[in-house]
Amino acid sequence: MLYIHHSTCLSPQLTYPAVDLENLQPPVDNKLKAIEPAYEGIPPGMLRRMGTAIRLGVGAALNLLKASGNTSGIIIGTAKGGMEDCISFLNQIVQYEEGILAPGSFVQSTTNAIAGTLGLMSRNKGYNITHTHRGLAFENAVLDAMLQLHDHPDHTYLLGGVDEISSFNYNLERLSCSYKTGTVNSDNFYALPTPGSIAGEAAAMFLVNNKQEGSQYSIDGVTTLHSDDDTVVKEWIENFLSKHNAKPGLLLSGENGDQRHLHFYENVESLLPAGTSVARFKHLCGEFPTATAFAVWFAGTILQSQHIPAHAIKKQGDNAGYKSILIYNNFKGIQHSLMLISE
Amino acid sequence: MGIITAIGDSVAGNRLALKEGRSGINTSMDLFPSRYAGMLPFGIVHHATAALKEKLQVTAPGVTRTSLLALHAFEEAVRNSNLSLTDIAATGTAFIGASTVGGMCLTDELYGDAREADNGSAYLESYDSASIQLFIQQRYGMKGFINTINTACSSSANAIMNGAQLINQGRAKRAIVGGVDSLAKFTVNGFHALHILSHDLCTPFDINRKGLNLGEGAAFIVLEKEEDLNGKKVYAELTGYANSNDAFHPSSLSEQGDGPFLSMQGALQMSGLQTTDIDFINAHGTGTENNDEVESRAMLRLFGTAPAFASTKANVGHTLGAAGAVEAVYSILNIAGQELYPQLNFTAPIPATGLTPVKEYGKKAIRHVMSNSFGFGGNCSSLVFSKA
Amino acid sequence: MQTTDELKLQLKQQIVQFLNLLSVKPEDIKDDEPLFGEGLGLDSIDSIELIVLLGREYGINIQDPKEGRKILVDINTMVDYIEKNRTK
Repeated sequence: MLYIHHSTCLSPQLTYPAVDLENLQPPVDNKLKAIEPAYEGIPPGMLRRMGTAIRLGVGAALNLLKASGNTSGIIIGTAKGGMEDCISFLNQIVQYEEGILAPGSFVQSTTNAIAGTLGLMSRNKGYNITHTHRGLAFENAVLDAMLQLHDHPDHTYLLGGVDEISSFNYNLERLSCSYKTGTVNSDNFYALPTPGSIAGEAAAMFLVNNKQEGSQYSIDGVTTLHSDDDTVVKEWIENFLSKHNAKPGLLLSGENGDQRHLHFYENVESLLPAGTSVARFKHLCGEFPTATAFAVWFAGTILQSQHIPAHAIKKQGDNAGYKSILIYNNFKGIQHSLMLISE
Repeated sequence: MGIITAIGDSVAGNRLALKEGRSGINTSMDLFPSRYAGMLPFGIVHHATAALKEKLQVTAPGVTRTSLLALHAFEEAVRNSNLSLTDIAATGTAFIGASTVGGMCLTDELYGDAREADNGSAYLESYDSASIQLFIQQRYGMKGFINTINTACSSSANAIMNGAQLINQGRAKRAIVGGVDSLAKFTVNGFHALHILSHDLCTPFDINRKGLNLGEGAAFIVLEKEEDLNGKKVYAELTGYANSNDAFHPSSLSEQGDGPFLSMQGALQMSGLQTTDIDFINAHGTGTENNDEVESRAMLRLFGTAPAFASTKANVGHTLGAAGAVEAVYSILNIAGQELYPQLNFTAPIPATGLTPVKEYGKKAIRHVMSNSFGFGGNCSSLVFSKA
Repeated sequence: MQTTDELKLQLKQQIVQFLNLLSVKPEDIKDDEPLFGEGLGLDSIDSIELIVLLGREYGINIQDPKEGRKILVDINTMVDYIEKNRTK
C-alpha cells in the first residue's frame, strides 16, 4: 500500500497546469501527442539535450520535487525511455560509417536517463532506479516503491511512468500491427472492429509515502501476470479481488480499441458485480507501455472530484459515489495488471 | 548460479580461468559486424549466435544473441539449484533480469526496421531490454513476478536487490535474478564516441589506464530463504545491498564520489558489518581514468584502509547490464572457494590514491565480500555477500 | 577566402546548431566569452561534440579530448586554430 500526496501529468489532454478533461483533445494523424508546456523550470543548458520522454518525465516531476523538499529516491517505469535519441545516434553510425561520432544522443538514449536526469537536477543521491519491463514497467515501479517504503517507512519517493512516441518505435509498432490502419477519432476509438490501437505518450509523476494524513488517494495493491489464457487471467483477477476484499465502485479499463484483446476486458467486466461502473482512459492518452501511469492519475482525479467525464464512461453503474477504483490493463494481450486505488 | 562470459561457459569454467589469471579479451575475434571488431579488444563469448541457438534448442524466430546468452546462464542456474520445471513456473518464483542493449545487438536490423515501409524483420518485438525476460518467461511458462531493470552498468546488481527485497518481504518464495548484455555496434560506437574505450587491454586501477574494454555475457543466481533450502548446497548469503545516485553528470562520476561512497556505506550498514569485516571488494574498476580514481577515493573515504580489492573486468571486459550479476557470481566464488583471484594487467598504482589490488591467486579466509557497480545516470549499487 | 570575422560568425552559428543551444543567438556570443564553466556553460560531453564539429566542418582531427580543451577556450582560440589547421 502507498499514499499519493501530489501528482502531475503531462499528456495529450489538458492535464497541466490546469486540469480540464471535459475538453477532449482528439487524435491527430492517428496519434495522441502530449501537450508540452514551456518547461520554465528546466535550465536551457539541460533542455537542449532532452528528447521527448526525458522532457515529459522531468517536466512533470520537477514541481513535485520542489514541493517535497525531502524526496528519498526516484523510481521510474519506462519501456522505451529515450528511443528518439537512440535512432538519432543510430543514424550517425550509419551516416558516418562508425567514424567520429558525437556522443550526446547516445548518453541521452539510455532508458535510465530520465531517472538519472531527475537525480542530477534535484541533487538527489538517494535510491534511483528505472524499470523497463514493457507493458508492466510502471506497475513494477509501483511495487518497487512499496518495497522501499516497507524497508524505509519514513521515506517519500518520486514514482512515475513515461513513454514517448518516437518515429522509430512508432514504425516498429506499426510493422507489428499494433496500430489501426483506418482513421481513428474520439468517436470511433473503441468501436472500430479491427485490430490495433493508436500511439500515445504521457508522463505521470507521483509523490508517495506511507502517511495517510494529507494524502489525496492510495494505491492499495498491485499485481501482474503474463498469460494469453482467459481462464488463467480470470482466476488471477478473482484472487486479487478476494485478497483485497475489493468492491470497487468503478472499473477503469485499459480497453484500447484493439478487437483482438477485447475479450480480456469483457471478462473483467463480467467478474465484477453488475452495478459496477465502467470507464475507459486510452482515448485520452493513446496506447503505450506505461499508459497505466496515466490511468492512476486519472483515477485520482475521479476519486477527488467524484466525477467521470461523459466521454470516458462505458457503463454507468448504480453507485452513489466512487470510493475505490480497480484499474485493469493488458499490453498486447500478454502482460496484465491490476491496481486498486482508494480515496 | 549460472554464467557465460569470455572466459567460460559455466561457473566451473569461469572459476578456473579466474584462478589461472586468464583473460578472454582479445582483438582477434570478429563475431559481430562492426569496423571495430578485430580492431579493438573485446571480451567476446566464443560461440557464434547460430551455434548457441542450436545448443540451446531454440527454434523460435526473432531470438537475439542477448536472449540466447541469458538462456544459457539461466539454464545452468536452475539446473545447479535443482529447480524443477514446476518450481520455475510457480507463482512464487520471481524472475528479474537486466540488460542495457536488449536486442539492439542487431544494430543493422534495427536501423532497417526503423525505416522499413512494409515488411519488418523477425526481430520487431525483440529490441527492448524486456524481450529477454519475456522470451524466458514464455519458454518456461513462468507465472510469478517478472521484471526488467535498466540502470546502465548497475542494472543486474539492482535486479539482485529487487529479488532479495521481494523474498525478504514475503512477496516471493525464490528469485532468479541477474542480467545479460551482448556486444553491439550501437554500444561500441557510443563508448568510442565518449573516448572511454581503450585500444589496448584495459588496466584497472593502474597509473597508465586508458579506458575500458567492452565485453558480453550473462549471469543468474537463484536466491532462496534459508528455511526453503531443504539441504541444498549454499554458496553464500546476500547480507547487504544499497542503491544511491552520484547526481553529478550523465556519464561520469564526481571527484568526491558521493554516489559510490553512499552505496558502499548503505550496503555495509544493512549487513550490520564493520568496515574491517569486509575481506575483499570486487570493484567496478572499468579501467577508465574517471571511475578507478573516484572509486579508489570512495573506498578510502569509507574504509580508511582499503580492503583487498580487484576488478574482474580485466578478465572478461565490461559486460554492462550483466556486470553486476557476473561480478556477484565472482564474489560468491571468492567465498565458496575461500580464495582471491589476481588483478590482471596491473603495473603501478594511481598516484593520487596509491592503492594496489590483489596481484596473485591465493587461498584466504574470506567471510564477507562487497561487489560494486557504478553506471551512467549516476546509478551506483553495492552488494555484500557473506559466508553462510 | 573567408575572413576571420566571417569565420567567427559561421563558427558561432555551427556551435549553436550542433549543440542545440536553444536560447542562444549566434551573434550574441562574445569572441572572448569562455565556452566552459562560466560564459556559455558547456560541459565535457560538449567538448567531445565540438571536436567532432571541427572534424566534420573543417577537417581537423583532434584525437585527445584533453588536448582539445586547450583549443576550446573561446571563439578566438577556436578560430585561430581553425585558420592554422583547417583542411576543408
